[in-house]
Amino acid sequence: MATVFSANALCFGEEFPASGAPCLVQIDGDGLTITYESTLSTSPSERVLFTGLAVSAGGLDHDHLVLKWGEGLQARTLYLKHPDLIRAFREAAPDHLSQPFEQAAERVRQVRHRHRVMWGTVAGSIMAVALGLWFGADLLVEMAVSRIPVEWEQKLGEAAYKDFLSHQDVMKEGPAVKAVEEMTQRLADQIPNNRYKFQVTVVKSDVVNAFALPGGYVVVFTGLMKKADSGEEVAGVLGHELNHVLQRHGLERIVKNLGIMAVVAIIVGDQQGLIGLMRQVGVELLTLKFDRAQEMEADLTGLQLVYRAKIDPKGMITFFQKLSEKDEGRLEWLSTHPMSSARADRLKAELAALPKRSPEPFTFQWSEVQGALGVSPVAAP
Amino acid sequence: MKSEILYPGAFPMVRVELASGEHIKAESGAMVGSSPTVDVESKMEGGFLGALSRKLLTGEKFFFQTLRASRGPGEVLLAPTVPGEIVILELDGVNEYMVQKDGFLAGADTINIESKMQSLSRGLLGGEGFFILKIGGKGTLALNSFGAIHKIELKPDQEYIVDNSHLVAWSATTSYNIEKAASGWVASFTSGEGLVCRFRGPGIVYIQSRNPGSFGAWIRQFIPVSE
Repeated sequence: MATVFSANALCFGEEFPASGAPCLVQIDGDGLTITYESTLSTSPSERVLFTGLAVSAGGLDHDHLVLKWGEGLQARTLYLKHPDLIRAFREAAPDHLSQPFEQAAERVRQVRHRHRVMWGTVAGSIMAVALGLWFGADLLVEMAVSRIPVEWEQKLGEAAYKDFLSHQDVMKEGPAVKAVEEMTQRLADQIPNNRYKFQVTVVKSDVVNAFALPGGYVVVFTGLMKKADSGEEVAGVLGHELNHVLQRHGLERIVKNLGIMAVVAIIVGDQQGLIGLMRQVGVELLTLKFDRAQEMEADLTGLQLVYRAKIDPKGMITFFQKLSEKDEGRLEWLSTHPMSSARADRLKAELAALPKRSPEPFTFQWSEVQGALGVSPVAAP
Repeated sequence: MKSEILYPGAFPMVRVELASGEHIKAESGAMVGSSPTVDVESKMEGGFLGALSRKLLTGEKFFFQTLRASRGPGEVLLAPTVPGEIVILELDGVNEYMVQKDGFLAGADTINIESKMQSLSRGLLGGEGFFILKIGGKGTLALNSFGAIHKIELKPDQEYIVDNSHLVAWSATTSYNIEKAASGWVASFTSGEGLVCRFRGPGIVYIQSRNPGSFGAWIRQFIPVSE
């Protein structure tokens, strides 16, 4: 008999082990027959009528059917798990048990439903946060950047600026420096609530380039000045670069590069930790590339600035066009500022929308500036 | 198949004797030594997806290893990674155990192992993570712990409170709720207990006498921080 014994339920009671006695439960018309393994119980089987049973749900996930009967030392608790067995019980159980049974089943369904809803909510919120980060990343970056004090930005930019200039041939004085200073002054005067003190340095190099570091440090290479046919063209580039500073594009790039954790750190106010990180990327500042949207923003705000400063905005456009023409040799500004005629066209359209204004000329003569840079005066075509 | 625990205590090892053709499954990397008649096979329990889900979800190792006495009878020595006791359970086919993810060491091939998702509150607060192993079937099961294993026997409706990170395994007939250790939230955390599990019988709860997370935190203070 013991050889064919196949338990389908666990019975708990005073004389049984704590893990329960494996037993075979058979259900018939008016009750249950429970057969124990011969080693566990003195009586090999027990008969319980439906009338003496109490029904509930139990177990870790409320997926067991729990039947109780007896009192005191004779109290028994039976745990049914097998779906076939539970179904058989449901079919055979008389009316007075079916109500608690349905209540128990309802409770199980509620628990499961609640779990599903909870998990669904969690999955949904995770998705929402992920999507939010995906699409709201720029917004977060802007929020973080707006919390960084200008002094930090200046320290950061200054360090990179000094580092860069230390191994460059800086032009200290002369008509070119004077010209650039005048342009910068005229542009800066038109910036409302300017928090930055711009420092523009002319570096002797044939590279056709100019760049701005966070905090207002601008470098113009003589190569760019030689390339330009008028002061207005250089002023256009300066207008663009100053706006990279004003819009804090460099910081935005840094924060983006440092990642979302840095953003969170700034927003919650851990600004000290960030400074270390920024030092690390400080050396990278010079190779920082702005993205297309930032370039576009600097273009448009640059044009408006140049316009407000009563400098002929056409210079900016012609210079951009000049740069967009190919076969122009080594144009550094192109690699960091991907040029396209679309960009110049966009500016033209923008300019057309502004009311006409007569520009005021600079105090310097561009030919003298270029002469001082060693450009032989070529007759304009 | 016969198994015995060698060197009971902190650094035990299990010796399993296998008859010819018999095989067991063990946690990947658990084998210490074996007779030359025993082959080690790697097996993804529950198929590739099952193994993948177990790896991703419970953090259990991707492969269980199967140790098969394919060339005659032999013995295998098995040991867990962490210092701590091993307990051997005989599953009867009706009893099922929930085992926290690091608790499984080895078992007869006739036992079933599946990953099971816990409810949100238990997963978040219970200290075992969202996924645990549900082990049933019939045969021998070896569990390992961090520290000593203590067995708590619960009669129907008897309750017992366990610190959540000390759980090793518990019967499926028990249920538990997460609650705070003291009556107030502040007191719960300042007492160092935080959250506890209130178990309700019937069934058996195995707990470990050391808390792996706390031990890790304790040992971290001696590790020099590299720049």
